Amino acid sequence: MRELRSLRVVVFHPDDLDGQELLGQMQRIGCQVKAFWPPLKRLPEETDLIFLAIQPEVLSMDLPWLTRDGIPPVVPVVNYENPVIIEAVLKLNAFAVIASPVKSFGLLTSIVVAVNQAEKARTRERYIARLEQRIAGMRRITKAKAILMKTRGVSEEDAYKIIRDQAMSKRVTAEEIADAVINANEILGIDVKT
Amino acid sequence: MNARLNQPIRVGVLFSETGVTSVIERSERLGTMLAVEEINEAGGINGREFQVISYDPQSRPTRYAALAKHLLLEDRVEVILGCYMSSTRKAVIPVVERWGGLLLYPTLYEGFEYSRNVIYTGAAPNQNSVQLAEFMLREFGSRVFMVGSDYVYPYESNRVMSDLISELGGEKVAEVYLPLDASWESYITVARKIKASAPDFIFSTVVGSGTALLHRAFAQVKLDPAAMPIASLTTCEAEIQEMGADIAEGHITSAPYFQSVDSETNRRCVSNFRKRFGPDEVTNMCWEAAYFQTHLLADAMRKAGGDNVADLLRILPGSEFAAPQGQVKIDEINHHTYLRPRIGRANAAGQFDILKEAERWVRPDPYLVSHTLQDWSSNVQLQAR
Repeated sequence: MRELRSLRVVVFHPDDLDGQELLGQMQRIGCQVKAFWPPLKRLPEETDLIFLAIQPEVLSMDLPWLTRDGIPPVVPVVNYENPVIIEAVLKLNAFAVIASPVKSFGLLTSIVVAVNQAEKARTRERYIARLEQRIAGMRRITKAKAILMKTRGVSEEDAYKIIRDQAMSKRVTAEEIADAVINANEILGIDVKT
Repeated sequence: MNARLNQPIRVGVLFSETGVTSVIERSERLGTMLAVEEINEAGGINGREFQVISYDPQSRPTRYAALAKHLLLEDRVEVILGCYMSSTRKAVIPVVERWGGLLLYPTLYEGFEYSRNVIYTGAAPNQNSVQLAEFMLREFGSRVFMVGSDYVYPYESNRVMSDLISELGGEKVAEVYLPLDASWESYITVARKIKASAPDFIFSTVVGSGTALLHRAFAQVKLDPAAMPIASLTTCEAEIQEMGADIAEGHITSAPYFQSVDSETNRRCVSNFRKRFGPDEVTNMCWEAAYFQTHLLADAMRKAGGDNVADLLRILPGSEFAAPQGQVKIDEINHHTYLRPRIGRANAAGQFDILKEAERWVRPDPYLVSHTLQDWSSNVQLQAR
């Protein structure tokens, strides 16, 4: 909420009553706002939030930034509610939708919700990526343990201890040691069923 | 107070006299003007003259918005009759909503809209698309070529039509969109594509001056309407008059009204219209909606004792009128109109032979996402004539 004033907002909307209302309210709130129509092919550097008028002519426009990963949150401004338009809105993964005619009231809540939810979604995605990495690492450690148990004739607990001690003495992660074990095993050509 | 009681009641009229859709909008304006003359001959609004202030929005949405604002704020009217393309209606709605005006809209459109400040008197998709799909698929086959103008009404109409076709196991041969001001050459290219892909019929959502170009291109490449007609929701008597009856003959249109509707009310209206506006004038679905909505408005104003929008909005929903197409009624909940679906085939005289008509009016359902062909057969008994 405190960062509203430093929020860099790009408005892609025609210069009509709705566009003016949107722009005016962003200025009243104190965001740093720029408006363009038709939408730019390249996003301005450092954009935190985008308002995009979903008008029929936008459907056939080529906006390469729309499909890129990690784009700022997009808040669609809709003035049609036909299934074809709703379909286009769904593709934006929007966290807030502004309906025409645009009213000043409600815009503040919408931008805060959109920015906040987008941030939460990003955090969640990062967390999921970390979990995925960890699961993949665990899978490699399991495989390395199985190799050690078979080739050294040790228990699972001891196999893990070998990996962990190696990691600590070489100051690398257990996953890296596991990879080394797996690689060595593949080079030596010993068939180990895990 | 007495002075005011004798003053005329004025309403705004926004139909384009120039631009891509001027032919059909001129017709809507004339339908409105016929009703205005009849209303005044019958004593106006409780003795007050019923006047219109009419501007030319030139088929451009921004002009519609600016003129609607001018009508409400400068001319001080409360009610506006007008608009054809959805883009123009969408431009006027924020204006009437912001300043408390009322728009009466006499044109078929793609649905998915309600504004408490709008009354819709043209057909919703469940009152024309479903009927057209049912008729075409049964009479001509299920391979369809879709061609439309590049804006929202054709996208949405094609979505509805695609659903209905896939429901029957039919096939969409192509879906092509042309700019509203597309050239003759681009229509010839489309006509050649149609000829090459040999569909069972063409579904056209081309509007405005493109309609004539499409039909002319169709004739130019020697396609036969009897074997492979163009089916449309918009091609009406006005466009046929513009393009010539010879190239329109044999094509199919779904609409709640044709000039050829065989009723006492319609015959009286058409003859009245020609007496005042000239013996060569033709009527059509948009003319008729413009005509009856003006009468519905006048009736409501008589009951309200004026043009106060809040009063009119209490009276108009639920009100009925004996229109040229038959009895019509404004739905209390969704502000659209109960209408009578019909299927017509253009004949050599530039008129339509009515091939089918619903026995009763059909309730408007503008938010129907998934149309099924059963909607038509369960709601309405078809009658071959």
